[in-house]
Amino acid sequence: MAVPVIMPRQGQSVETCIIGSWNKHKGDAVKKGDVLFSYETDKASFEEEAKEDGMLLDIFFNEGDEVPVLVNVAVIGNPGEDVEAFRPGGVAVASPASVEEQKSEPVVEKVLETSAATVSQSQREDGRVFASPRAKGSAEKNGIDVAKLAGSGPEGRVIERDVEMAAQTMPRMTSLAKEMIKQEELVSKGEGTGLGGRVSSADLVTPNQVYAQDFELQKLSNIRKLIAKAMHASLQNSAQLTHHMGADARKVLELRKKFKKDFEAGKVSQNVTINDFVCMAVIRALKKFPQVNSHFLGDQMRIFNKVHLGLAVDTERGLMVPVVRNADDLSIEGLASQLKAVAEQSRKGSINPELLNPEAASFTVSNLGNYGVEVFTPVINLPQSAILGVCTVVPRPADLGGGVYGFVPYMGLSLTYDHRALDGGEATLFLKEIKLQIENFEL
Amino acid sequence: MPKTQFIDPVEVRNSGFIEFSPIPVNQYNKSVEEERSNFSDKELLYIFRDMAIIREFETMINLIKTTGEYQGVPYNHPGPAHLSIGQEAAAVGMAFTLDINDFIFGSHRSHGEILAKGLSAIEKLDDASLKKVMEEHFNGETLKPVIEGHTGSTKELAIKFLLYGTLAEMFARKTGFNRGLGGSMHAFFTPFGVYPNNAIVGGSGDIAVGAALYKKVNRKKGLVVANLGDASMACGPVWEGLTFAAMDQFKELWKGDMKGGLPFILNINNNQYGMGGQTCGETMGYNMAARIGAGVNAEQMHAERVDGFNPLAVIDAYRRKRKVIEDGKGPVLLEVMTYRYCGHSPSDASSYRTKEEVEAWEEQDSINWFGEELVKAGVVSLTQLNNIKSEITDLLVKTLKLAIDPAVSPVLDLEQNPEIIGDMMFSNGSIDKMEDRTPDVNHPMAENPRVQALTKKERFMFDAEGKPFSKVKQFQIRDAIFEAVIDRFYKDPTLVAYGEENRDWGGAYAVYRGLTEALPYHRLFNSPISEASIIGTAIGYAMCGGRVIPEIMYCDFLGRCGDEIFNQLPKWQAMSGNVIKMPVVIRVSVGSKYGAQHSQDWSSLCTHIPGLKVVFPVTPYDAKGMMNAALQGTDPVIFFESQRIYDMGEKFHEGGVPEGYYEIPLGEPDIKKAGKDITIVSIGATLYRALDAAKILEEKYGLSAEVIDARSLVPFNYELVIESIKKTGRVVLASDASSRGSYLKDMANTITELAFDYLDAPPIVVGSRNWITPAYELEQYFFPQPEWIVDAIHEKILPLPGHTVKNNFTTSEQIRRNKLGI
Repeated sequence: MAVPVIMPRQGQSVETCIIGSWNKHKGDAVKKGDVLFSYETDKASFEEEAKEDGMLLDIFFNEGDEVPVLVNVAVIGNPGEDVEAFRPGGVAVASPASVEEQKSEPVVEKVLETSAATVSQSQREDGRVFASPRAKGSAEKNGIDVAKLAGSGPEGRVIERDVEMAAQTMPRMTSLAKEMIKQEELVSKGEGTGLGGRVSSADLVTPNQVYAQDFELQKLSNIRKLIAKAMHASLQNSAQLTHHMGADARKVLELRKKFKKDFEAGKVSQNVTINDFVCMAVIRALKKFPQVNSHFLGDQMRIFNKVHLGLAVDTERGLMVPVVRNADDLSIEGLASQLKAVAEQSRKGSINPELLNPEAASFTVSNLGNYGVEVFTPVINLPQSAILGVCTVVPRPADLGGGVYGFVPYMGLSLTYDHRALDGGEATLFLKEIKLQIENFEL
Repeated sequence: MPKTQFIDPVEVRNSGFIEFSPIPVNQYNKSVEEERSNFSDKELLYIFRDMAIIREFETMINLIKTTGEYQGVPYNHPGPAHLSIGQEAAAVGMAFTLDINDFIFGSHRSHGEILAKGLSAIEKLDDASLKKVMEEHFNGETLKPVIEGHTGSTKELAIKFLLYGTLAEMFARKTGFNRGLGGSMHAFFTPFGVYPNNAIVGGSGDIAVGAALYKKVNRKKGLVVANLGDASMACGPVWEGLTFAAMDQFKELWKGDMKGGLPFILNINNNQYGMGGQTCGETMGYNMAARIGAGVNAEQMHAERVDGFNPLAVIDAYRRKRKVIEDGKGPVLLEVMTYRYCGHSPSDASSYRTKEEVEAWEEQDSINWFGEELVKAGVVSLTQLNNIKSEITDLLVKTLKLAIDPAVSPVLDLEQNPEIIGDMMFSNGSIDKMEDRTPDVNHPMAENPRVQALTKKERFMFDAEGKPFSKVKQFQIRDAIFEAVIDRFYKDPTLVAYGEENRDWGGAYAVYRGLTEALPYHRLFNSPISEASIIGTAIGYAMCGGRVIPEIMYCDFLGRCGDEIFNQLPKWQAMSGNVIKMPVVIRVSVGSKYGAQHSQDWSSLCTHIPGLKVVFPVTPYDAKGMMNAALQGTDPVIFFESQRIYDMGEKFHEGGVPEGYYEIPLGEPDIKKAGKDITIVSIGATLYRALDAAKILEEKYGLSAEVIDARSLVPFNYELVIESIKKTGRVVLASDASSRGSYLKDMANTITELAFDYLDAPPIVVGSRNWITPAYELEQYFFPQPEWIVDAIHEKILPLPGHTVKNNFTTSEQIRRNKLGI
């Protein structure tokens, strides 16, 4: 018996997902556990496996389509079984990527055909077209000829929804523009200026003579768009500045060495990195400075009782900040283990989207020490009040006591804070507290 | 139903007879000579002069109507002229004793009464007061034409002012007493105690009683005379007014200085004809109209028939009747016998009477006879009388020239000010109290049991978890109206409320429960079951300067006060040139469950009549705020309430119904539920069904409906509705009114005009069927139901996938129903 494959729901706030790629195609035999397709939410990407053996009878959405969650995307069953019962009612929301008119044009015709059947003959006998004033206005704006539409309103009247449907599926390029591209090797210079945003002949340009075709236009991934928006919003909407300070790293380097040795010797189950020690120092400092463990909300602040620590993770698809909830309840090993787990899930794309929400973390640590960065100004993950940037360890001269100076390894700490939430003195004392926690780290 | 009055079955079942006292008929028999001790020569002369002025004034009008000129001055008067030539002695006799505290109301044939009462007032006022009256009326606009070049005394100037103001009013001049908006049949001048004359036969019959009520309740000096014709005694409102005026409670139940009958005189000017119908012998059966008094109360209304061809006989009657009124024994009925020589109007060929009959009366003409008597008694010489007459003619020629001169007496300029009449339709005042004094109440408001009980009510329907409180705990619509009403009773000393079962019972729907305890009888009382008198008296009460809440127990009874609501209440503000204000808030309860004559929503009928504000709030917050606004205003408001939801709590206004005073401006609709796909506009209790429909649309069809409660019908601000339709493109209008001629059709038309280009379908009206309202068990087939709204949307606006209709909203059905008139 045929069974549908639905678009899974990933997290409460997810309403639609975008299909990444199909690993199986219509007609392929599939086994339970085979990856059928990949899909992504705003924040992560996932793979959907077959839950049944059988043949992939039909696929309802293409790569790049945005599909509401819990909607059928495909059907698995025995060859020859009818799939129509599973076909989702509406046409997929046209993805911005699918500008190739070859794909969308047939859809228009199909829509017109189906609704044409509902037109009552008497309405068309004298050749008159009945359309509501609102539909006419909308048609004019979208460059659609109501005479070519079939009305789904009372007695075959063309109503607003008919125009909207046609607008959604209409070609993105005028026929003239299409022909000129073919004949004259022109390219579109971007968004169309024609009716309904269609690319018209006026939007065509000859390819740039200096660079010629030496570039590739890349669509931004969803996650890129999201990062762009969040970063821009952070810098636009808060008053952020950064204080820098160094911490004597000898103690944590020593502890790190000890853990590494114990781990290799199998004495402990969990390796602990420098970053884990720093994070623990931050957690301890936050407990002393609850004002920093907070969200700034304009006219009020959300001061957290627990520490929910965000960690900036660099992934192939871009920057992600997963959170370890109730991090202040954890031992150093526990913290190390959980930080490692969320970082790996983020890289694999299997992280729970709820854990990527900026509202989920009360404070964030971003560590660029591994890359040799000596000083930087991290950007706050709003609505959090601050973020700590951890830099590389460099030897610095220091007073070793008794008038003796020597080189000591110093770790750079860069605290960016929102001056709306915290004052300079407060922020400095907090940063100092992290430094003291690192320098005097106790297990 | 006062408990103090025991109805004893023994007494009720006793046998006996009703006994009547003889009603005097023309018992006055004194000569002028005999009366010289009661009148000064000057007074006697002025009686003659006043009659002569009226005679010449009306002769002038008659000549203008029939020959197009008077004394060589040509003029065409296209308007009405109902003359009373022959009846002058009756008018002057009636007015002679009255001062400016005494008010007269009249009919379409009242030029004589206006002039007689005006001349009497001028004689009694001192020069300073007269000057003040003339200078203050329209800031001297009426005075200006006559004061120019005037050399005589202030009283002479005032006579010119009176004649000019009346004539200019008849000729529709803006310098007339009422800006020319009243005209011949409705002219009046309140500063002289001349209140509206009424072109509807018997129209003053109940209004004048309301004026008498005002005088009594507000302890004002003076009495009120209703000048009606003999034929008006057939009219319901006259009878209803009499019934109201003669209620036992004034003498039996009203306390202290309020005890006693109304200061009201029904003055029947019996000129023998109602148009062409002869009342005695043809169209009536009373033989003598004075007989009617015996049918009204045990005192027989102190009725008398008086010889109205002898001014002294009428004056004698008025001197005696004033005493009766002052003793608290009113009301009084006088039948004043007279005769009009002219026709009903200039087009009347008098085909219903003989020339001999007219000549016989002319032979006894009161002015000639009285003049001869004065000469005989040596009060005046014949030459003097002739001089008086020619002076009058001169005066009228001058007055006529002024009144017809467009430079001096222009008509309202609607070219320059096209909205000048529109601006007069409502006074739009905002007044806490109509008079500044301490209101009569029985106890401080905080001690009132209902007020105390309301402090324990939940003023929002739901608790913190969103669960509704029990009905008994909720602050309901009936409580909201009560709160606004009692608040005003403690603010405005002139406020009175009455209607059927208002006292003791507290109104049939318990809105007034607790008011009986708070208020003495004269501020809250039960009226006769007589809607014409309830509304008619309220109009008279408001005209004189009081604020009043009359109640109509069922909307269906509006027909019983049709003339009052449709012809009187809405018109007097504009017809007076904005001299009069009309702070009347009529509470009208719209029924249900009681079938065809107790369950109709007639709000649409009221919206058709210009000059009424019409509102229909259906939530406690709206009901209190809008009742406050209505009572703060100075315009007539028809305040509809729905019996279906008197017990409804407040489910929209967060924070609940405020305990303090607030107003919701009349005319502003309110979004009760926001939405984006379709707009539903509702009037009245249909709101709650519209919200149910919105739920169906949302849950079954994924359509988000915006529900707008009209709250007011007139005035109405369309901006909110249009904004909503710009968003949704679709609109359904629903109310309990039968759909044909429903105000919703007017709204649908206006919306189409205002938002045509935004509409995705025509506005659709879902009203009640054009049937009788059936029994409660069948009401779901008559009143709009939530499913009807969904069906109408599917059929007329936006076909809903998978929807099956139950009600037929198709085009062919609509045509069929209209063909059949159903």
